[in-house]
Amino acid sequence: MRNAFINTILDACAGRDDIFIISGDAGLGVFDTFKDRHPDRFLNLGAAEQNMIGFAAGLAITGYKVVLYNIIPFVLYRCYEQVRNDICYQDLPVILAGIGSGVTYAPQGMTHYSIEDLALARTMPNLEVFSPIDPVEARLAAKYALSARAPVYVRLAKRGEPDIHRQQDLDITKPQVLAEGEAVALLCHGSIGEEAMRAVQILHDAGIRPRVLSVPMVQPLNRQALAEALQGIGAVLTVEEHYRSCGFGAAMGEFLRESGLTCSLTTLGVPSRFIHEIHDTAGMRRLFGIDAVSIAAKVKQLL
Amino acid sequence: MKTPATASQIRRTIIEMANRSKSPHVGSCLSCADILATLYCRTLRLDPWPERDIFILSKGHAAMALYSALHTFGILSDQDIEGYYRDNGTLPAHLDRSPEKGIEVSAGSLGHGFNMGMGIAYGFNKQGNGRKVYALIGDGETQEGSIWEGALFAPKLGLGNFTAIIDHNNLQGYGRPTEICAFEPMKEKWEAFGWHALEVDGHDHRELTSALDEDAHGKPKVVIARTTKGKGVSFMEDQLIWHYYVVTDEHKAAALKELA
Repeated sequence: MRNAFINTILDACAGRDDIFIISGDAGLGVFDTFKDRHPDRFLNLGAAEQNMIGFAAGLAITGYKVVLYNIIPFVLYRCYEQVRNDICYQDLPVILAGIGSGVTYAPQGMTHYSIEDLALARTMPNLEVFSPIDPVEARLAAKYALSARAPVYVRLAKRGEPDIHRQQDLDITKPQVLAEGEAVALLCHGSIGEEAMRAVQILHDAGIRPRVLSVPMVQPLNRQALAEALQGIGAVLTVEEHYRSCGFGAAMGEFLRESGLTCSLTTLGVPSRFIHEIHDTAGMRRLFGIDAVSIAAKVKQLL
Repeated sequence: MKTPATASQIRRTIIEMANRSKSPHVGSCLSCADILATLYCRTLRLDPWPERDIFILSKGHAAMALYSALHTFGILSDQDIEGYYRDNGTLPAHLDRSPEKGIEVSAGSLGHGFNMGMGIAYGFNKQGNGRKVYALIGDGETQEGSIWEGALFAPKLGLGNFTAIIDHNNLQGYGRPTEICAFEPMKEKWEAFGWHALEVDGHDHRELTSALDEDAHGKPKVVIARTTKGKGVSFMEDQLIWHYYVVTDEHKAAALKELA
């Protein structure tokens, strides 16, 4: 997913001389090709995130399309006020590429998990927020962000995630139907999509066919497209690799309350607490009930 | 307009704005009036406007000083100034970016404008357009970590077109910086970070002009301007209370008499 995103940016640089990449001392090896081809359009600003964001905002004021790359805590947490004031308040078209969504870095430890970033990102007006489900959506999010006039935050997992979409030409601002079905809609956002699709296979094997949607853009929500995608649905189940209380499921709850749709909402995600357990990513997902088996079981309950 | 007359005009407008709005930070504004007068009269290239040098008020709580300077030079209108800090108004107490009015970045929270200024200067260098960037920071503001993150990087980035000016009035919101978190030795610290550092009397227009003009030989420059908070109004000078106190009609009359 990470490489799909970065390679799309790199490809775009062939025809554009305004793209500038800034790393905060992260991404060893990721930018080697870019640095070889465009040494004058890459800076590593070191472990200094406040300066990194403010500097990027200034560079954007001079007309550069700045792509910031770092792990999520150093894109949104350490430098929250710089993102708020310098980028979003001034509505500058900076691309914030955050790596290591959810617990994809497990068992690195709590400092390196990103399970509250959507909550932070959603507090900032002007910021457009994407969590790609797979490399296909990561490419599309990069293309969208490159042409956006607003700041864009793209929440990426790491590398090695499988392609879920077969079709490459999608509208990334809309919910994407991954499997047709009825009664129950399973909505997934970001890096947990892989587990959701395994859950769908379990359900299909049992003759159960929920409607499965990826919702890559969480801010702003495409309300009309969502309402259309949920026609005929009685129960919505959201799944995310994020605190359940304040991320994608919470955004869907707001949407459903305001939409007039009558479907119920159940949210799966990480409970609001610090993580002290030591597991790999698969183990963490089992612990928090967002693995394929747990997701499939929850869909069955909702039928 | 000569710089002393400009500085006096800026100070009078500050007093009038502070009195009309009953907003704080008059001492912080008076402190940097000579720096702004020198920049706008002598240093900044503003014509043609789209290719102008950039001035950033990183100590955004001194917005009245910037507004007054921009008004003195006809960039802000009388209506802009009269609508400061009021319901259905025109200008907030901290800066909301409006480049066409010379308000180049949003600032108010400390430790932001300096770093954005470095990014702008770097972009101008890349574009080879010869434009320069000046950022005015407060001495209290240099307690922010972001200032030192930027200070570490500027020399590496070759920001010879970037100048930081420190309004060193030795009074911050709740006491003297030397008692809260000492800066000294300031010049040596910045030099150790690779900057071309100068110290001047921040109310002496010749010293300021000379320092701002001095060739830094490709290094980023920092001008440490020793100033007095509340400068120009005797009962406000070097008094902590004027970080927050409002200017009453009596204060205004007495202040304008001194600034006539």
